[in-house]
Amino acid sequence: MKLELRAVTKHFGSLAANKNVNLVVEPGQIHCLLGENGAGKSTLMNVLYGMISPDSGQLLINDEVVSIRDPKDAVTHKIGMVHQHFMLIPVFTVAENIILGSEPVKPWPFIDHQSATERIVALAKEYNFDIDPSATIENLPIGTQQRVEILKALSHNAEILILDEPTAVLTPQEADALMIVMRTLKAQGKSIIFITHKLKEVLEIADVITVMRLGEVVGTTTPAETNEAALATMMVGRDVSLVVEKPPAHTGDVTLGVTDLFVQDDRGLTAVKGVSFEVRAGEILAFAGVQGNGQTELVEALTGLRRVTAGSVVLNGTELVGQSVRDVLNAGVGHVPEDRQRHGLVLSLSIADNLVLDQLDSSQYKSWWGRKLKAIVENGTRRIAEYDIRAQNEAEPLSSLSGGNQQKVVMARELSRELKVLICAQPTRGLDVGSIEFMHRQIVAIRDEGVAVVIISSELDEVIALGDRVAVLYDGIIQDIVPPTTSREDFGLLMAGSRPTVSAGSIS
Amino acid sequence: MSIAPEIVTPEIVTLQNLRRITRERALGYGITLILIGVLEVLWFGGAGSALKTTIELGYNSSTAMPSITSALRVIPLLIGLLLLAPAVSHAAREFIPERLKFTKGVRNFFIIVGGYLVIWPIVLWLGVNSDGALRTLTIPVSTTGYVVGILTVVAGILLAWRRFDRGASPLLYAGLIVFMLGFLVWVARGSNVSGLHLQLTGILAAAVAAATFLIFGSLSGTLCERSGVVNIAIEGQFMTGAISSVMVVSAMNGTGISKLLGVLVAGILGSLLGWVLAVMSLRYKANQIIVGIVIVAFCTAVTQFIMFQVLDTHQNLNGAYPLPVWAIPFFSHIPIIGPILFDQNVLVYVAILGVVIANIALFRTRWGLRVRSVGEKPIAAETVGVSVTRMRYGAVILGGFVAGLGGAAFTIGPGTNFTFGMTNGYGYIALAIMIFGRWRPYGALMASLLFGFTIALSANLNIYLNQLVIPQQFISMLPYVITIAAVAGLVGRIRPPAADGVPFSRE
Repeated sequence: MKLELRAVTKHFGSLAANKNVNLVVEPGQIHCLLGENGAGKSTLMNVLYGMISPDSGQLLINDEVVSIRDPKDAVTHKIGMVHQHFMLIPVFTVAENIILGSEPVKPWPFIDHQSATERIVALAKEYNFDIDPSATIENLPIGTQQRVEILKALSHNAEILILDEPTAVLTPQEADALMIVMRTLKAQGKSIIFITHKLKEVLEIADVITVMRLGEVVGTTTPAETNEAALATMMVGRDVSLVVEKPPAHTGDVTLGVTDLFVQDDRGLTAVKGVSFEVRAGEILAFAGVQGNGQTELVEALTGLRRVTAGSVVLNGTELVGQSVRDVLNAGVGHVPEDRQRHGLVLSLSIADNLVLDQLDSSQYKSWWGRKLKAIVENGTRRIAEYDIRAQNEAEPLSSLSGGNQQKVVMARELSRELKVLICAQPTRGLDVGSIEFMHRQIVAIRDEGVAVVIISSELDEVIALGDRVAVLYDGIIQDIVPPTTSREDFGLLMAGSRPTVSAGSIS
Repeated sequence: MSIAPEIVTPEIVTLQNLRRITRERALGYGITLILIGVLEVLWFGGAGSALKTTIELGYNSSTAMPSITSALRVIPLLIGLLLLAPAVSHAAREFIPERLKFTKGVRNFFIIVGGYLVIWPIVLWLGVNSDGALRTLTIPVSTTGYVVGILTVVAGILLAWRRFDRGASPLLYAGLIVFMLGFLVWVARGSNVSGLHLQLTGILAAAVAAATFLIFGSLSGTLCERSGVVNIAIEGQFMTGAISSVMVVSAMNGTGISKLLGVLVAGILGSLLGWVLAVMSLRYKANQIIVGIVIVAFCTAVTQFIMFQVLDTHQNLNGAYPLPVWAIPFFSHIPIIGPILFDQNVLVYVAILGVVIANIALFRTRWGLRVRSVGEKPIAAETVGVSVTRMRYGAVILGGFVAGLGGAAFTIGPGTNFTFGMTNGYGYIALAIMIFGRWRPYGALMASLLFGFTIALSANLNIYLNQLVIPQQFISMLPYVITIAAVAGLVGRIRPPAADGVPFSRE
C-alpha cells in the first residue's frame, strides 16, 4: 500500500507544528522519520492516524485522496500505529486488548473469547511471536507489550505501521529483537514508518530517511548516502559535537555513601531493594537501566523526598536519612529532578523567582518583612547571562520558555548553592541536541570542581558518555558497577537482569 | 529465524512472588484478628457472668412452621444444595487429597447428600423446637465473649505465624462478622430480664430492605465509575426518585399499573439527572465532583419546594402505597433465610437481579469490555475506534436510571410516604459501599448487605433506647464508622478504575 501526505499544515495557536509537509511511503518500505523532540514528527503521525485534524493538506492512499477524521477511519484504511506510550489497558489481558473495538460476539452481546484466542494464536504464529493471549498486560515486560501493540495493529489488517519512538523504552536486546520484527513485517510487504531520534538505528534499518526540523521536512536521504554526523547536522541545523569532551576524573574522598537502602514505591511495593554504593568527590557515577527499575524511588530517597524503609545515606559523615528535605538540601545536595515541569519548577512564576526557590529562607533573599526583590532580580539577570537562558527578561514566566531553557534554569538554581553532591535524574530528557551538549558540559564542569555527581538516565549513550563508573539498576538492585567502556551487549544483559557470561570487569 | 530473542525476561508476577505479597498481608490480617480477639475477651467477656441475651430466631417464637418432613422444608434445601454443589466442589478441589477426587458427578453427589445429612439436622437442632416452631436462644454474654475471643486470637496467631497465603481475607472477614455478632450479644445484654428480645429474622429482613436502596446506589456508582465518571449526584437521584415515584403512584390512587409507572418515572428522572451530569462533565469538561454536588443541591431545593409548597396542601399526592410483595414458593418457607431473601417487595428482587445482570454485562459482554476500557485508559479505547464520549454517556445515563430506582426503594418499595431528608446522605454512603465492594457489582451487593445490617441493627436497638447500655447515638454512628474504615482502605488493597474522574480529550 502506498501512502502519500501532501502539504500538511497544522498550527497549535501561533506555533506551526507542521508546515507544508510532504511525505511518500512506498509499499514494503521502512521509512524513518528523524527529528528532534518538537520537530513535528508525532504531530504528523497523529494527523495521519486521525488523532489530530490538520489545518490543510491532503492524504492519499494508493494515489486516491482519502479523509481520515478519527482513528476509526485510519483503521479502516489499514493504517496501524504503535504509540510511544502504549495504548494498552494494563489490567486487561492480551486478548482483550487486541480485540477491543472489533470484538467477536457470539451470541450477541457476549464476547466470543474462544474464537478471539484462536485468531490471536494464529496471528502470533504467522509472525513468529511468542505471546500468551490470557496473560495480563501489566505483568508482561515492555518488549512483549510492544509486540502486543504490533499484533493489535496487524489484527486490524494494517498495511502501514507507524512506530512512534518504539526503542525509547527498550533494552538494547529488546531493540534488536524489534529490528528483526520490523524486517519480518517488511518481508511480508507491510510498510513501516519508524519515528526515532536515535541515529544508529536509523542507519541500521531504514530504506529511506526523512529528516524534520521545526515542523518542516529538511531533507530525504538513504542510509547509503549519509552518516551519523550528516544526519545530526540536518536535524539540528548546525554542526554539533556528538561526543562529550571529558578529561579523566581526579577523584577525592568518598562524599556520598549509601548502604543497604530499601525504598517503597507509591503502591507500597519495595522498589529499591538493598542498594549500596559510594561516590567520590570529583567523579560521576551514572546509573543505567530501563525505566521503572527503581530509579525514581532511589533519587527521591537520596533527596529526602521519599521515606526510606531501611538503610543509610551518609554525606561527608552526616546521616541524611530521616532529615527534612530542607536539611538535605542545606547539607549540600543538589537535585535536578526527572520531571522538571512538575517537580523542578513553578511554571507560572518568573525566571528570577524560580532561580531562588530553594534559597528563600537565606538572609541573602529574605528580609524581616518579606523577600528582597532587588537581590532576586539582580540574581536573575546575572544567571540568565551566565547560563545563556534564552528569554526576554528575568520577569518572564517559566511556562513561556522552551524545555532546554527550563532545564537551564533548574541547573542554574541548583549550582548557585554550595554543593557537595549533585543528583541529576534524566538531565537531558526531551531536550534538543544543542541543549544536551550544554547540559553535558555543565555536568562535567561541576565534576571537575570536585563535586560528586550522580546521573540517572535511561539513555545508555548518555550514561556511557558521562559516567566515570556505571551502575546498572535492575528490579531495584544494582546488578553491577562497571566501567563505561563495557560493551553495549554486556550493558544490555545487565539491564535485562542477567550477568554477562564473560565478566564485564566489575569495579565496585 | 526466531523472533524471540535470547534474553532473560524480567521477573513477572508468578505464583511464588504473588504469595510473597499476600504473605505480608497475612501477617497484617493476623495481627488485626489477634487485636479483635483480645478486645472481645476484655470487652464482651468482662460483661459479668450472670448476664444473658435472648435472641429470637423467628419473627416471634409462636409462629407455627410446617412440619420437619414437609416438602416445604425439604425441597428448597435440595434445590439450594444442587445449585451450590458445583461451586463448593470447585472451591474445595485444592483441599481434597488426590485419591479422593473422583469424578465431578460423584463429588457433587457427595456434597448434596452430605449437606442434607449434616446441615439439616444441625439447623433443626439449633433453630427449631420439638413442636416445629423456631427456637428462642438464650446466650450467656460473658461465656460467648470468652469463647469467641479466644477462637479469634487463635485464628489470628495461626494466620500471623504460618502466613497462610490463601484464606487470609476470608478469615479476616469471618473474624469481623464474629465480632459484630459478639457486639450484638453484648449490646442487648440483660435483655431477658427486661423483655428486650432481639429478633434475628426481623433484623435481617430489615437489613435486606435497608440494603435495597444501597444496592441500587452502589451499583449506579459502579457503572458510572467503571466508565470513568464519578457520580456524586446519587443522593440527588435518590431524592428525585423517591418523591416522583410517590407522587405518580398517589396521583393514580395506587393501582397496579401506577406502581410500574412510578418505578419507571423514578428511573427516568434519575437518568435525566445522569444526562445532565454527563453533558456538564463530558461536553463542557466541568469538574465532575462539583457538577455532582451542584445537582444534589438542586435536587434538594426542588424536593423541598415540592414537599412544602405542593404536598403540604395536596396530601393525597403523598400517600403510602407499597409495591407488591412476592413470596417465592417453597423458598419463602425456609427458616430464617426464607423471610429474609424470598419474601420481599418487587424492588428487592429487581436490585438483586440488577446486580447479576450488571456483573454479566460488565465482565462478559462487548459493551462491558468497552465501558471498562474507557474507564481504565480512554485514549487506548479511542485509538481502536471506541467512542469514549458515547460509552460514558451511556454508562452515566444507565447509572442514573439505577440510582432513580434506588430512590423508589425509599418510598414505594416499603410503602411509606415521602418525608423531606429521608435519603439522609445514603447516596454518599453508596459511593463508600462501591469502594468497599471494589467497583464490582457482587462486591457492591455484599457490602450493601453489611451496611444494611448495621442500619437495621441501630434502628432495631433504638426502639429500646432507655434500656441500652450505651447511648443510642453510638449505634447510629456504626454505619458511618464502617464507611470511614472502608474509604480509608481497611478492606485491603483496592484499585479504582485508572481513569476514574479524569476528563478525556483527544488532543
